Amino acid sequence: MATTIDRPVTEPEPEPEQGRQGDRPFRPSPLGWLARAVLALALAWLVFVFPLSQEGFEVQRFTTAVIYGIIGLSLNVLLGYVGQISLGHQAFVGIGAFTSAYMVSVQNQPFWVAVAAAAAVGGLQALVLGGASLRITGLYFALVTLSYGLVAEQNIFQVEELTGGGQGQAAPKPAGFETDWRYYYLCLAFLALVLWVDWRLMRSKGGRALLALQENPRVAATFGVNVRMLTLFAFVVSGVFAGLGGALLAHNDTFVSPEVWSFNLALVFVIMTVVGGLRNRAGVVIGSAFFALLPYLIDQIGFIEDAVAAIPAPRELTAELAPLVLGPLLLILTLVRAPGGIGQQIRPIQRWLGGHRFDLHDHGPKEVKVADVRA
Amino acid sequence: MSVLEARNVSIRFGGVQAAREVSIAVGEWEIVGIIGPNGAGKTTTFNMITGFYTPNTGSIWYRGKDVTGLSVDERAALGMGRTFQNVGLVKGATVRQNLLTAQYLDAGYGLVPGTIGSPASFSVERRLNQRAEELAERLGLADLLDTQVAGLPYGTLKRVEIATVLATDPDVLLLDEPSSGMGPEEAHQLGDTLLDLRREFGLSIAMIEHHVPLVVRVCDYVYCLNFGEMLAEGLPEEVRNHPEVVTAYLGEDADPAAAALEGQLESLVEGS
Repeated sequence: MATTIDRPVTEPEPEPEQGRQGDRPFRPSPLGWLARAVLALALAWLVFVFPLSQEGFEVQRFTTAVIYGIIGLSLNVLLGYVGQISLGHQAFVGIGAFTSAYMVSVQNQPFWVAVAAAAAVGGLQALVLGGASLRITGLYFALVTLSYGLVAEQNIFQVEELTGGGQGQAAPKPAGFETDWRYYYLCLAFLALVLWVDWRLMRSKGGRALLALQENPRVAATFGVNVRMLTLFAFVVSGVFAGLGGALLAHNDTFVSPEVWSFNLALVFVIMTVVGGLRNRAGVVIGSAFFALLPYLIDQIGFIEDAVAAIPAPRELTAELAPLVLGPLLLILTLVRAPGGIGQQIRPIQRWLGGHRFDLHDHGPKEVKVADVRA
Repeated sequence: MSVLEARNVSIRFGGVQAAREVSIAVGEWEIVGIIGPNGAGKTTTFNMITGFYTPNTGSIWYRGKDVTGLSVDERAALGMGRTFQNVGLVKGATVRQNLLTAQYLDAGYGLVPGTIGSPASFSVERRLNQRAEELAERLGLADLLDTQVAGLPYGTLKRVEIATVLATDPDVLLLDEPSSGMGPEEAHQLGDTLLDLRREFGLSIAMIEHHVPLVVRVCDYVYCLNFGEMLAEGLPEEVRNHPEVVTAYLGEDADPAAAALEGQLESLVEGS
């Protein structure tokens, strides 16, 4: 006995239109544009004008903040795009610093050649570590980078012919950029260059493939991505950024000494990048600059220093330690409350500046955890 | 000459013989179905064809060339496109980004020129974006271009995946259960889509599929695997009615009443 069931023949449903509320896109009013312009100008003033109103010594701190932005972007390539943690990034940066100082002071090369050499050497050493990362990942790779950093600090940076040993190496500011404020602008230009490269990386096939690779290596491979080559390429990009940052740091202080490249620094680098917000250029730069400026900010807020001075025992507790105390706290806050870091927090403001409606809850595309495909 | 051929491939994982002397051929413009119960070694065979596994013995041939030693990405460059059982997409990215990522090999510029932003890379990017939009349009995904993949319904994901694999500009499509998660009607539509795509893009297709009506309707030739071995091959109707295939699906001493019920259900599904 056959029974027939009447089934309504359904047309394929049109896909629901996503995220479109009205027909008319939102346009800010003239007053809205004015408010946006005011904020943009204020930000520009903060970056381009305000640091110059400081004493010479303070300008150097702002320059450091800009260079930290470059270093943060370097680490962001590894942490954010490749998904590997580097606990030896102070060595990546330090090698750039010593290379540049060596080229200028010992080889008498001009600044530009020295910076190019530092970037190249930075890329080369990253290539070697990248090779290791093809074999080991996660915690074990972190250990490799950690020991690499320690070896660099204890051994490589002590080689007298290259680094001047304990005395360090002089690294004068380049001709034409001798004053602190000129050098500040030079570093800003380099940061702009790094931002451009990072932007193009993520808007071209390499960056897209990196994100695919990090989420799902098998899928990336079926898209025709050569997994090994792309990983090495990303390491080189990160190393070039780090080497460049190191060179700029050396000439900012006009001197490099081996002991500043300690593990503490590597920790600060990792924390500032994560707190800034992985895969978010603006967030990383702001986070990095914030950590670089922490000692300055604490100096500005006098009562903190008074409060620290009132604690009897730790005399040696200085403002330099602040990033290492505040850092982990911010790191925990970031991981628990806002995985997208500062970048996630400032997104409503960014969108608003770009002529969109202000939406406090706009945190951008959500992060998804996925398991690898079965294959 | 076959476009794609697996010749007597075998692979063993520890004590499990996952595939034994399996031979599969996909001819030009053919749609070949691979059926079999769970654990029959269908996906394993796909993995050997696409290069995720290297067979212990046997070889893989692509247009008269032995590709057994090539890596997954090298085979993709030759024109093998593949989808996955649980959807091979970058879930954190949008549909558009997936379609762009999949055109990795078609982006003519190198990694370095792309990264420093060479003028050529900009114009290529515009071209890739245009093609992404065309493909989305073709598979009815135009409205979803800027939607994040995670969160889309499963049936839609399968369509996005097909659009994505088309974006890799393949010659041969290897589809792993394209109709899973789809209702009978969606599956029927998928059959139409596959037949159309074959004509439009000049494709040869091999697909692992459990939905028997779909297999019978679109496939030119069918292989049935069981416990890693080839059980039967032939025209779809032949394989479906092959006594051993029926036994493999329903068990040795299948209750005749259950078998009858199964047949009825199948005809019901087919009739829809």
